[in-house]
Amino acid sequence: MDEFQTGLVDLLPRLRRFARVLARSDADAHDLVQETVERALARRSGFRPGTRLDSWAFTIMRRIFIDQTRSNARWARVVAPADEVTPNIADAAMAGEDLRADALAVREAIRALPDDQRLAVGLVLIDGLSYAEAAEVMGVPAGTLTSRLVRGRQTLIHTLAEQGVSA
Amino acid sequence: MTPDTRYDDETLMRRVDGELSPEAGAALDAAAAGDPALAARLATLRSLRTRVREAVPLASDPRDRDLARLIAATPGPSPVAGRLLDRLRDAFAPARAPLWAGLAAACFVVGLSIGWLGGDRAGAGFTVDRGGVIADAGLVRVLDSRLTSDGADADGRAVGLTFRDAEGRWCRTFQAGEAGVAGMACREDGGWTMQALAPFHASSGELRTAAADIPAPVLAAVDAAIAGDALDAAAETAARDAGWD
Repeated sequence: MDEFQTGLVDLLPRLRRFARVLARSDADAHDLVQETVERALARRSGFRPGTRLDSWAFTIMRRIFIDQTRSNARWARVVAPADEVTPNIADAAMAGEDLRADALAVREAIRALPDDQRLAVGLVLIDGLSYAEAAEVMGVPAGTLTSRLVRGRQTLIHTLAEQGVSA
Repeated sequence: MTPDTRYDDETLMRRVDGELSPEAGAALDAAAAGDPALAARLATLRSLRTRVREAVPLASDPRDRDLARLIAATPGPSPVAGRLLDRLRDAFAPARAPLWAGLAAACFVVGLSIGWLGGDRAGAGFTVDRGGVIADAGLVRVLDSRLTSDGADADGRAVGLTFRDAEGRWCRTFQAGEAGVAGMACREDGGWTMQALAPFHASSGELRTAAADIPAPVLAAVDAAIAGDALDAAAETAARDAGWD
């Protein structure tokens, strides 16, 4: 394998974690990872060696996710919004993990965030990207990223406090 | 949370995320040391950060093995060609679009040849000597003898326009379809020197003639160099048969 391939394989756990922040279910998260990998392979000529592969791959995933969200939204206008109730439940059994109740509450609170804020939280708080890197992945100015991050955090603190989970 | 008069949520968040300058961070820490409310706000943000991170842990997944196999089984385009294209893309980024010729070309071409020769030479490509002299026998042969009407050879190499520049040198544009580049070379001391190069994608594998497939930067180099008109087929044949005198 060349450097690109090795780099992509090394990225898989981080891609999967990011996908789990974004997607509604484990199956959706896996689809998101798979699609991201396929697109990255198909478009590897678009990756410039010497730049960061993680930011590049995260950007691909973000775009796929946003596209899916848009088409889901269109679909939801046509079909009854029955899916609203189910998504969070599937998560408890995600990969058979024995999550502490608090961790589950945190995860559900993250999942309840608007997409923009969830992306920011996923990139900065969970993956640990710098603000500049996260803004690049999201394709927004740095100021937009920070305001989404502030709002996302305020919402999380508020939601968790309501549930009696100390943040 | 009630925003502190001096420190808003964003500033505290930056502190927790390591996005404040060391000085600003130290000032905030000093303020928090004497202000329990501020310290509590910081502690809440720190704790949230930890909790969020722990809630979505980095975990290995058995399905990653399948993806790793998929990745391993999908080799990219020739890595050498990839690097070449990257450099060309850099050189011809819109901000630097002005054509590059003469000395600039020679400098670039030196860098080019280093990268190129460092890779495997099995793939289609060509080499350029220091100073911009084209050393690749295949490309030299194409420039020496091929006519526009011949179209492309087996490696996708073809010539486009042939003309004299202001110094009276013969110049020809070429396309190296497999290598993904097109360029302009001029006759000098019995050899061909590279004047311009640009990324090039052959249209549906079939090389059209003349200017249609010449990338804009190369075309700009032609415009800058050409004296008079490009040769027609008869004149091109005559010039070749005369050995590019």
